[in-house]
Amino acid sequence: MSVPQLIGQLVETLRCLPGVGPKSAQRMAYHLLERDREGGRKLGRALLEAMDGIGYCRECRTFSDIEVCTLCANDRRDNGLLCVVETPADVIALEQATGYQGKYFVLMGHMSPLDGIGPAELGLDVLESRLRSGQVREIILATNPTVEGEATAHYIGELAGLYDVRATRIAHGVPLGGELEYIDGGTLSHAFSGRRDLY
Amino acid sequence: MKIPLEPGYILHHYPYRDTSLLLEVFTRHHGRVGLVARGARSGRSRLRGLLQVFSPLLLSWHARGELGTLSGAETNGPVPVLPGKRIMSAYYLNELLLRMMTRNDPHPELFTSYASAIDRLASGEAGEITLRMFEKSLLQELGYGLLLDQDAETGHSVNPDDLYEYQLEKGPVAVTRSSAGGLCFTGRSLLALHRGELDDPASLRDARLLMRHAIALYTGKRPLRTREVLRQWTVSQ
Repeated sequence: MSVPQLIGQLVETLRCLPGVGPKSAQRMAYHLLERDREGGRKLGRALLEAMDGIGYCRECRTFSDIEVCTLCANDRRDNGLLCVVETPADVIALEQATGYQGKYFVLMGHMSPLDGIGPAELGLDVLESRLRSGQVREIILATNPTVEGEATAHYIGELAGLYDVRATRIAHGVPLGGELEYIDGGTLSHAFSGRRDLY
Repeated sequence: MKIPLEPGYILHHYPYRDTSLLLEVFTRHHGRVGLVARGARSGRSRLRGLLQVFSPLLLSWHARGELGTLSGAETNGPVPVLPGKRIMSAYYLNELLLRMMTRNDPHPELFTSYASAIDRLASGEAGEITLRMFEKSLLQELGYGLLLDQDAETGHSVNPDDLYEYQLEKGPVAVTRSSAGGLCFTGRSLLALHRGELDDPASLRDARLLMRHAIALYTGKRPLRTREVLRQWTVSQ
């Protein structure tokens, strides 16, 4: 059976979403057509608006539809604390889980020397001018605990040293409710060497 | 073909499909191999923390066609901690291997030199000497070994006090001070590199220059990316 061209095009387009193969794309397309045309129209409009309207915050480089995002514009947050993360999703995770009241800087990735992604590609010159301005007292390096994330943290740490800014790294170790027996060796050795006084 | 618990290191990884990783690994008995780690990027994957570059691993996979499928991974020793710029040196080793080795071409001796180079970088021993000695053994193992202790034209032993022009892919040729041009080194530097005794700064500098030219011959025109990133790192600080 031949499928109308517009449906074929819709199915093909939906496949650009992560985790969506031909079968799920087809299910989504038919669902919208059969049951939820209004939802489909809204989705189309929202997608268009988001793709054209969302850029990057001038201060922290996270996604934003205004020039300076609401987190950066909030003057009740402490300007002296700057938390560096890899992705906008990390900002949300930290906001939900911690009571952090400082500002953020989003790298939109991490250093990956073999792919040619170094300090310049990560916009670290923007971060450097932030450090140079002298407002930041402490920079919290919350990049992922991977080799690439560590390399990025090291680099920014050295940069902070140049401007006499205190650089701290988030702790990594045993997850809450975890059992030592089942934890991988790398995490365990990190947790062990990073132990601290009980009182 | 099933390969069980083979010692190896991950040289590089790329995201593959939605939740998988494509790994370039360097193994002791199978050389460089391309492997797909299914589901390794999903939140529930046990392998996620394990599959890191520079960590000694034991890898198991099914080989079929160009890419194998990873079936298991275990640690094979402590995870090396590479502080600051040393991590860039380690990345440089990986880039050299990726650029100069073809897949499925075993080099057990080179594997040993790689493992010990990573260990030495992690333990904080002289980083630059470690790099030069790895470059030397890389060229040696891949069949591009440098002639260092004999004059390429006369066959005489290299004399520490004479001056030599190094002709790539050929070897050192004795020259006089007035006719010196191109890549010129003292016999002392060449012999120091030959013996692997690079403690004195002049020989180390010469070894660096010679290796840079020799390596460039085999890595092609595209410049090495790690070198560019390291340059940015050094310039900004």
